[in-house]
Amino acid sequence: MPPVAMQTTTVEEAKLGWKMVIPVILFATILILYPLTRGLLSSFQADRSLTGGRVKWVGLRNYSEVLQDPATRAAFLHSVQYTLTAVILEVALGLVIAVTLHRAFRGRGVILAILILPWALPSVVSGVLWRRIFDPDNGLLNDFLLRVHLINLPQVWLANEFWGRTFITVVHVWGVLPLICLIFLAGLQGIPEEVYNASAVDGAGPLRQFRFITFPLLKPAVSVALTVGTILSISIFDEIYVLNGTALNTRSIVMQVYTVTFKEADFAHGTALALIVAVITAAFATLYILSLRRAAA
Amino acid sequence: MKRAALLQVLQATLVTAIILWSLGPIIVGLLTSFSTETDVRSVPPIWVPPNPSLTAYQELFQGTGAASTIGGTTTQEGAFGRSVWNSVTLTTVSTIGILLVAICAAYAFTRLRFNGNKVFYWALLATMIIPVFTIVVTLFQLMASAHLIDTTVGISLVLIATQTPLATWQFHNQLRDLSPEPEQAALIDGCTRWQAFVRVVIPQMSSGIAAVSAILMLAVWGEFLIPLLLTSTLRSKPVTVLITEFIGKYTTNYPLLAAAGIIALLPPAIVVLVLNRRIRGMLSGAS
Repeated sequence: MPPVAMQTTTVEEAKLGWKMVIPVILFATILILYPLTRGLLSSFQADRSLTGGRVKWVGLRNYSEVLQDPATRAAFLHSVQYTLTAVILEVALGLVIAVTLHRAFRGRGVILAILILPWALPSVVSGVLWRRIFDPDNGLLNDFLLRVHLINLPQVWLANEFWGRTFITVVHVWGVLPLICLIFLAGLQGIPEEVYNASAVDGAGPLRQFRFITFPLLKPAVSVALTVGTILSISIFDEIYVLNGTALNTRSIVMQVYTVTFKEADFAHGTALALIVAVITAAFATLYILSLRRAAA
Repeated sequence: MKRAALLQVLQATLVTAIILWSLGPIIVGLLTSFSTETDVRSVPPIWVPPNPSLTAYQELFQGTGAASTIGGTTTQEGAFGRSVWNSVTLTTVSTIGILLVAICAAYAFTRLRFNGNKVFYWALLATMIIPVFTIVVTLFQLMASAHLIDTTVGISLVLIATQTPLATWQFHNQLRDLSPEPEQAALIDGCTRWQAFVRVVIPQMSSGIAAVSAILMLAVWGEFLIPLLLTSTLRSKPVTVLITEFIGKYTTNYPLLAAAGIIALLPPAIVVLVLNRRIRGMLSGAS
């Protein structure tokens, strides 16, 4: 009887389906959702070490207190600067590199392999590699700038209010730029060659072609790159940890969460701040999914 | 024609700049790792060591001893080697774990009908935006009560939980684009769903599995924050965490630090160079 057979296959299919997703559900529930719930609850409670272990609900007080902390406010501004600088550099340099490497030439494969190398390295290692360059006493950057007489005295770059964040951004961009280039290269691949040929016949030069063909057609890829770049630079941490530790002048918002939670051992305030960062990240992640959909359409 | 020549010069200049930008810091690291502390400390600093030396690598594996504490950084014999070994086992265990969990989940979400299929899939993807900081203190307590603090297995379990969603998404996208016909043919031939999955669908996915594995290996190898918080000794400390301890508070032994960096970057560099095309395809397709 076919209907019965159909019935059993569907039931078996559902059974197998459940068996195959149970591991992932267990992992997500025990190691993500349960800790998240605990974190969420503790962000509305007073620190237990202060209440003698008793639970004391304080509403949104942890949130308002952590947001009033001058170090948090400074960290927010720093993160805005990291994000803006990183994203502008990534999109600008990414476009130039992608346009340069788009068309076939001898050795293109090798160049592409070299291009993505920095992305593959642990960001801790990127920080380690750049560290000697910025070192105040034995640094290569100081040595170079002294030789070409751009500075007269060695500078402590990472302690500098402006250059500290700027150079950490450079190190971050070094690791992320390859990913942005690949996004643009994929976008360029989607533009048919005929459009360029036709415009060349009409007398358009490379600059006009870029302005009127490449850039408009690349817009979906640009919005994907913008959101990826933003999400990655909001969570910037490893490079700062290696290059300048928890120093105030380079502290990003995630570094502030780390400092409050672990250096100051203040879980309640730290988690409240982490959840605020989560909401901001979620907003950009939604933008990312929307921009992906538009790029695919 | 003049314009074409000009464009070619421009292209060559830009390509050279791209190579210098990408390899520059790595070359600086290589040169530093073959320098002595005297080279690094001389004023002005010596960029290219006149007598390349392996001292830094020797110290890295055999320990610095008490004699060379002027750098502000010391290391014990075998400590670095142990951390590399920890990274290797962590990467292997985690990558295999993530692959097993994610491939099964992606297949079920894509090809099998069951109640809650869509809801669970989207809920799983949504966990990706949760910052590690919101969960890590509770994770620490969980790991402590399960006696998994400072163990490779403990960190692996956490990494499986945090990395599986992205991998599931990538496998889901791949499965959606794969033809379902071979699987249907196998079912008609009398295979059960599970047999068809193991014998037909997994081989069909092999190139995607290779690309995702490579990306996972790079991600786990480079993982820093979770092991920083969940490890305390060389029992499980990976190389990314140990390397940050080579940075002195006041002065740093740069040759030692650079040598550690060069060794830590070799495995990911090899993976990315060998699987270059596949990784590029995956990254530009999925992101």
